[in-house]
Amino acid sequence: MADMQHIPNVKMSAQGVNVLYGEKQAIRDVSIEVDLENVTALIGPSGCGKSTFLRTLNRMNDTVSGARVEGRITLDGDDIYGADMDVVQLRARVGMVFQKPNPFPKSIYENVAYGPRIHGLAHGKADLDEIVEKSLRRAGLWDEVKDRLHESGTALSGGQQQRLCIGRAIAVEPEVILMDEPCSALDPIATARIEELILDLRGNYAIVIVTHNMQQAARVSQHTAFFHLGRLVEQGPTTEIFTNPREERTKDYITGRYG
Amino acid sequence: MTGQAALTPHGATPGAAPAPRIAAPTDWRGEAMRRRIARRYAAERRFRLMGLAAVLLSAGFLAFLLVTMVGNGARGFTRTQIALPIDFQRSAILIDPALLTGGNAEQALAGANLPAVIDKAAETAFGENGARMISPAAQTAVRKAIIADPAILTGTATITVPASEGIDVAAKGQGSAANEAAVARLQQAGALSTGLNLRFLTASDGTDPTLVGIWGALKGSLLTMAVTLALSFPVGVFAALYLEEYAPRNRWTDLIEVSINNLAAVPSIIFGLLGLAIFLNLMHLPRSAPLVGGMTLALMTMPVIVIAGRNAIKAVPPSIRDAALGIGASPVQVVFHHVLPLALPGILTGTIIGMARALGETAPLLMIGMRAFVASPPHGVMDPASVLPVQIFLWSDEVGHGFIEKTSAAIIVLLAFLLTMNSIAIYLRNKFEKKW
Repeated sequence: MADMQHIPNVKMSAQGVNVLYGEKQAIRDVSIEVDLENVTALIGPSGCGKSTFLRTLNRMNDTVSGARVEGRITLDGDDIYGADMDVVQLRARVGMVFQKPNPFPKSIYENVAYGPRIHGLAHGKADLDEIVEKSLRRAGLWDEVKDRLHESGTALSGGQQQRLCIGRAIAVEPEVILMDEPCSALDPIATARIEELILDLRGNYAIVIVTHNMQQAARVSQHTAFFHLGRLVEQGPTTEIFTNPREERTKDYITGRYG
Repeated sequence: MTGQAALTPHGATPGAAPAPRIAAPTDWRGEAMRRRIARRYAAERRFRLMGLAAVLLSAGFLAFLLVTMVGNGARGFTRTQIALPIDFQRSAILIDPALLTGGNAEQALAGANLPAVIDKAAETAFGENGARMISPAAQTAVRKAIIADPAILTGTATITVPASEGIDVAAKGQGSAANEAAVARLQQAGALSTGLNLRFLTASDGTDPTLVGIWGALKGSLLTMAVTLALSFPVGVFAALYLEEYAPRNRWTDLIEVSINNLAAVPSIIFGLLGLAIFLNLMHLPRSAPLVGGMTLALMTMPVIVIAGRNAIKAVPPSIRDAALGIGASPVQVVFHHVLPLALPGILTGTIIGMARALGETAPLLMIGMRAFVASPPHGVMDPASVLPVQIFLWSDEVGHGFIEKTSAAIIVLLAFLLTMNSIAIYLRNKFEKKW
C-alpha cells in the first residue's frame, strides 16, 4: 500500500473502502483523495476494480443488486453513504461520463437541458438557452452543433456524442466529474479532442478518469493510482509513477509486461 | 471482477520451433470441395423457396377469406327496393295534418295506421300477395316522405320502400320459385330497384333481416373496448414497470411472473366464468352491459400487455438508465422520462395483440349474458348491449336466408373495426419509435 501523501483542496476522500458483490470482494481496502487542482487517473489491468471503485464515488453501484460498500467516502467532508446524503443530489454534484457515449435519443439541446431542468437550475427559457450554450462551449462542441441544436443527439459522430455527454454532465454544475474510459470507443483524433477538453476542465472540476491507455494517463493526469486485483497498489504524482514506480507490479504494468 | 489474471508476460515460449504441418494442404478446388459448395447453394435455395411458399400460402388463405367475405357481405349493404304508389286520398289515414308541421311529426305518424295503409296500397298495386312483398321497414320510408312533404297526403305519391326478405333474397338470386315469379312481375312493372342499405349501419338487432342493423353491436363493441383499454392498459403498464424497475428479484416476484405468464394462456371462457362469479354474482353489476364485458376482457388482455411491456422495458439499453441516473435523475424520473417513452412502441405492439384478441372474443361474453337480443343501441356502459362477434354468432344461427348475407356483412364491419383499431395503434407506435 502506498503511503498517503497530503494533497491540498481535497474534494473527495475514500478511506478503507471495500466493495463486495455478494460473497465476492471486488475492492479491498482502497484509500485515495481527489482534489480540484489535479486530474486523478485510475489505471490497471482489466477486471482490477478501477471502474467499480469509480462507481462507488457517485453511488452508481447502488443500482447493482447485491453490491455492498464498506469504509468511508466523503465529499467536502460529508459521508456520501451517510443517512442524510440524498443520492440523487449526490449524482448531480458528482457527474459521470461513461465508457460508451450514451446520449439520450432526444435532440442535442434536450440532452444538455435535461439535467438543469430536472434540478430546477434554469429560470425561464432564456436562462436555459444560456446554460445549454455555455455547457456546449465548455465541452468544445458548440461551434459544431450550434446550427442544429434540435437534431437528434444520436446522429452525431462518436467523438461528438462523447463531448455531448460531457456537456450534459457539466450542465448541472457538478463539483466532481468521473470519467469511465471515456475514449475507449473513440478514434485517435476524437480522443485527442477529449484529452484537450479534460485539460481545459481541470481546475474547475475535480476530475477522476479511469483509463486503459497509459499514454493517456500520462498526458492528462497529474495524480495516478494503480489498481491490481481489487487493491490499490500504488499512487502518487503521475510523473513519479511513470518514471520511478516503487512497486515491482506497477513497473511491470506500465512497461507493458502484462495488462 | 477480480479475475485471477496472472502475471504472465507477453511473448512467451522464446525459441520454440514452429509446429510441423500434419495434414496435406487443403484442396480448395477439388471435386469434393465443389460438391460441398453445390450442396450449400442448394440448401440456400431450398430455404428461400420454403419461406416463399409459406408466405404465399398465408397470403392465399387471407385472400380467399377476404374474397369470400366481401363477395357474400357486400350484398348485405344493398337492398332491393320497390316503388310503391300510395293513394293517400282514398286510404283512410288517421292523422291530423296540423300535427305534421310541429316538432312532434314523428310521434304523430307513429300513432297513425301507416302499416295498414301500406299493406292496402301494396295489395292494390301488386295483387293480393302485395303486402308480403313489402318490408316492415317500409313505414319508416313512408313516414320520412310524409314529413318531408306533407302535401302528398292530399293526393297520390310513389314512394320507394324496401322489399321484404323473400323478395330481397329472390332478387339477389337465391329465393323460392314463388318469390322469383313475384320479382319477375315487379321487374316487368319497372317497380324494382337496388339501393344502399343505410339501415344496416344505423339500426340494431331485429327479427326481420330487412330491419336489422349492426350499429347497436358496433357501439357495444366500441364501449366494451373502451372499458377494456382504460382498465388493462394502465394496469398492465404499471405492473410491467413495477416488476421490471422496482420489484426485488425473489421467490415472490418469480411466482408472480409465472402466474402472469400462465394467465395469458388461460382459455378465455374461464375468464367469462370469473366475470360471471365476481362482477355479476358478487358485485351485482348489470347483466349484458359493456362495463362488465370490458372488465372481463380486461382481465384477459392485461397479462398480454404485462408480458409485452416487460420485454419492451428490458430492451431499453441500460446505458440510457445510467446516463439519466448519472446526472441525478430520480428513479421515477428515469422511468417516466426515459424508459417508458423508449418502451412505448413495444408496449403498444402488445396492446394491439391483446385488444385484437379481445375484440374478436365471444365465449367469455356469452358467460356474462351478452348474447341477449338487444334491439336498441346502448347509451352508456351500463345499458344492455351486444358486441360484433356475438352478433355475428347470433345471426349465423338464424334460419332466414336474409340473415346469411347480414352475417357476412357484420364480419366485414368487424374486420373494418379491427383494421381501424390496429392502424391507429401502428400509427402511434411509429410516432413514438426512436432510434438509440
